[in-house]
Amino acid sequence: MKKLITALGLALLIAGCNATTPEKPASMKAQYEAALAETQAAVDKAASVGGEWRDIRWKKSKKKYLPSAIKAAEAGDYAKALKLLEIAKFQAEAGYKQAMAQKNAGPRF
Amino acid sequence: MKKTLTLLLSAGLVATATQAFSSPKEDLEKFRTYFEQRFPGVQLNDFGNGPYALDASKRLQWESMEEFPPYEEYVDKGREIWETPFKNGKSFASCFGKDPSKVRVKYPHWDSKTQQVVTLEGDINKCLKENGEKPFGWKKGKIAHLGAYLGYEARGQKTNVVIPNDPKALEAYEEGKHFFYAKRGQLNMACADCHVYYSGQRIRGNTLSAALGHTTHFPVFRAKWAKKGKGDGLGTLHRRYGGCNKQVRARPFKAQGKEYRNLEFFHTYMSNGLEINAPGYRE
Ligand code: HEC
Repeated sequence: MKKLITALGLALLIAGCNATTPEKPASMKAQYEAALAETQAAVDKAASVGGEWRDIRWKKSKKKYLPSAIKAAEAGDYAKALKLLEIAKFQAEAGYKQAMAQKNAGPRF
Repeated sequence: MKKTLTLLLSAGLVATATQAFSSPKEDLEKFRTYFEQRFPGVQLNDFGNGPYALDASKRLQWESMEEFPPYEEYVDKGREIWETPFKNGKSFASCFGKDPSKVRVKYPHWDSKTQQVVTLEGDINKCLKENGEKPFGWKKGKIAHLGAYLGYEARGQKTNVVIPNDPKALEAYEEGKHFFYAKRGQLNMACADCHVYYSGQRIRGNTLSAALGHTTHFPVFRAKWAKKGKGDGLGTLHRRYGGCNKQVRARPFKAQGKEYRNLEFFHTYMSNGLEINAPGYRE
């Protein structure tokens, strides 16, 4: 019984390794490409209503999440790239929502 | 019957329209009243001194700076730029007229031909291009020197922006007004949050100035802008706009783009009647 469990565990481990490790870079790359396209679309949408935030891609920002993500991907660090894209996309969507919510902004006096 | 109905209906429509829309003149009155009530001890023209009108301790420091103002040499540089002829023999006077003291008060204004707000900086570069000269950069350097000279020559004249009764001009004014009151950036703050509702209060060592009088002393000499890598200290109004957008972590717009020109139209109109006191000194 014990042997069986070990064997099963080993099999699972091997299978698991087979399933992720060799394919990992490829699937991460695909994931990155999809996230990049989505983020770029979200940024364009925010910019179209004047709602873009400072640190997404503006050249004098110290963070520049979107260009930094592209750089990280070029260096092969897809995990970092995905993390940065997540921030950029969140900020772009929030900037768009903010601009929409402020459509009728005016004086409060 | 039909007639009375139409009459009633149109009366109703007019009533709702005026409720939703306030004219620039009404906006100005409310804006003025707000600051008069918030700072009853401050005289109208003194608002043109920004934070120093509202903060007695900062005012002393500032008054001593104004005795030997660091912007004087730039006024002189600006005069030189005004007087130096272009390669074609013409000069700025051929675009703006001979009297340099009559230039500043014309800006910003609505141009019905091009259907847009025209700024002093815009016309300076237009004049250069039309005469085959290279345009200046928008935010600092020569454009600010010339602006400082023209502002200095116009000292004491009253701000007098005209919003013509033209739907396009009113649209530009409304866009500028909306820009001023809309929250933006990661910090979710509007110009009005800092310079209306929190004016007079302290934020990171600064006293927040009132938006009333904001435009009278531009271009401005700022100690911060005289630091290494930032330039010679002098900067234009749109440079300041960019800085204030950046502070709330919004992406700044292009200097002299439509957004900031329309903002300048509204923002300067709100200071109508206040004396020009450019260039100013700020920390
Ligand atoms: C987070 C607060 C904040 C917001 C929001 C903000 N500013 Fe400022 N602004 C400042 C501070 C601080 C200063 C420097 C102290 C002062 O003069 O008020 C300043 C200075 C200025 C000045 C120079 C005043 C002078 O006397 O020289 C102008 C003009 C100005 N802001 C315009 C704007 C406009 C227009 C907006 C909106 C696009 C804006 N600000 C948004 C904080 C803010």
